[in-house]
Amino acid sequence: MRLAAHSLAFAAWVGRYLWSAWVGAAGLFCVAAAWQAGHELYGSFVLPSPLETLHEVAVIGSQSGFARAAGETALRALAGFTLAVAIGTATGTIAGYSFATMRLMAPIVTVILGVPPITWIVLALIWFGSTGGSAVLTVVLASLPISFVAGLQGVATRDRALDTMARSFGAGGWLRFRTVTAPHLVSYLFPAWTTTAGSAWKVTVMAELLSNSGGIGGELAAARSLFDIPRVMALIVVVVAFALFSEYALLQPIRDRLEQWRNAGQPWGVKR
Amino acid sequence: MKLALRKVGHSFLGRTLFENLDLSLDAGEVVALLGPSGCGKTTVLQIAAGLLDPMRGRVRRGYVRHAVVFQEPRLMPWMTTRDNIAYGLRAAGQGILARTAAAERRAREVGLEFADLDKYPAELSGGMRQRAAVARALAIDPDVIFFDEPFTAIDVGLKRSLQDLVIAAAAREHFSALFVTHDLSEAVRIAHRLVIFSGRDGRALADRAIAGQPGERDDRFILDLVEAWARDPAFSDLFDGARSDSR
Repeated sequence: MRLAAHSLAFAAWVGRYLWSAWVGAAGLFCVAAAWQAGHELYGSFVLPSPLETLHEVAVIGSQSGFARAAGETALRALAGFTLAVAIGTATGTIAGYSFATMRLMAPIVTVILGVPPITWIVLALIWFGSTGGSAVLTVVLASLPISFVAGLQGVATRDRALDTMARSFGAGGWLRFRTVTAPHLVSYLFPAWTTTAGSAWKVTVMAELLSNSGGIGGELAAARSLFDIPRVMALIVVVVAFALFSEYALLQPIRDRLEQWRNAGQPWGVKR
Repeated sequence: MKLALRKVGHSFLGRTLFENLDLSLDAGEVVALLGPSGCGKTTVLQIAAGLLDPMRGRVRRGYVRHAVVFQEPRLMPWMTTRDNIAYGLRAAGQGILARTAAAERRAREVGLEFADLDKYPAELSGGMRQRAAVARALAIDPDVIFFDEPFTAIDVGLKRSLQDLVIAAAAREHFSALFVTHDLSEAVRIAHRLVIFSGRDGRALADRAIAGQPGERDDRFILDLVEAWARDPAFSDLFDGARSDSR
């Protein structure tokens, strides 16, 4: 009985989430319309139309070499994202509990954030050479501070009153972290993680292009040297599609599930 | 003796709140701790509940489990009412089936409906939230419950029914309780004994037993007693708002 009710509620949530994709699609079509207008103004050589680009996407999608390049980029972006998020979140969360660490790390974070990603690429090229490692390292260094600051802020602003309540019932540190701090932390971490996911794709492609280490960035370098504008546009579309996928198909559903309690108590009609 | 505070003193940032405070709690006894606002009642409660270490003196506990009901409900906004009520049992390491059953039984006792248990605290009214907080305290079968002005923010009619709920639970389950309040009539309704606490020198100014059992006193008796005590010099601090504010 309860299982049936739960699965029904889950199905309702899935349906609502998928249905909300229409709004997102409407936004994307607005972008496509502006793109089409630009194309009609400047012509195919400067800005190929969305339809031409989609056609080109289908063409490169059927090429065997491209799948390997895309897989390479995806793997690097994923590795960079995972490392940055894991290290940043873990160290940030620990630092949040310690005031001294917080004070010590704040200027270090500012320094790391202040270094432009492009210089990390140059340094990584010197250290790692033209391998995927330099792309991964650049992603990690460029986005680690974001998760770190989010974890730190989330822990530092946890609800002390709830923590005291949990302590009064004899809850240990681990239980208090899971039940008091973590649900609060989530609302700080997810924006950081989505930012990291987005920049992981961008920075990976950038590093690949500059280090000439294959992947979509390598494809982009080749297309640019051949002045193959439709191909450049198609590659951009592919990267953006990857970013959209990782945000709306992987991260957002998790966040939506974890933060369902926020929708509680709101009257019908204003939920979304 | 369930709980004994001996010569306890505490200060915040060099300002002494109280000094040489003695307070004890017998088995099955409900003691109301009264005092003007800002005199350190809540600090006494936190020391008694072990949430704060006293700077001087010692606390002796002769019980196994205690629970605290705070001024605000302090429910986890991300947990359903059922999980909130079961939280103390979860901290005590009970399995999910046992604690869910206990939570549902306690929810019924405090007047929450079954349908409310799947709701989040944001969907409950203020009174229902405080009911859930009381149920959470009762759920662990405590030997001692600490109440920190729990019904201050609740309207008069509801306050009465929540007080009756505490009185009935205390009579049924024989827990001891320290009930911090600044409302004399609430104290007279609920408690066996009354301790008036003054912030000025940190001593208990008065320690009075209240005739009869909580729950058996009628409104006339409570009203008369409150009126009589209001003229008592030991109680003047409670009512003399101007002086305690200028202090």
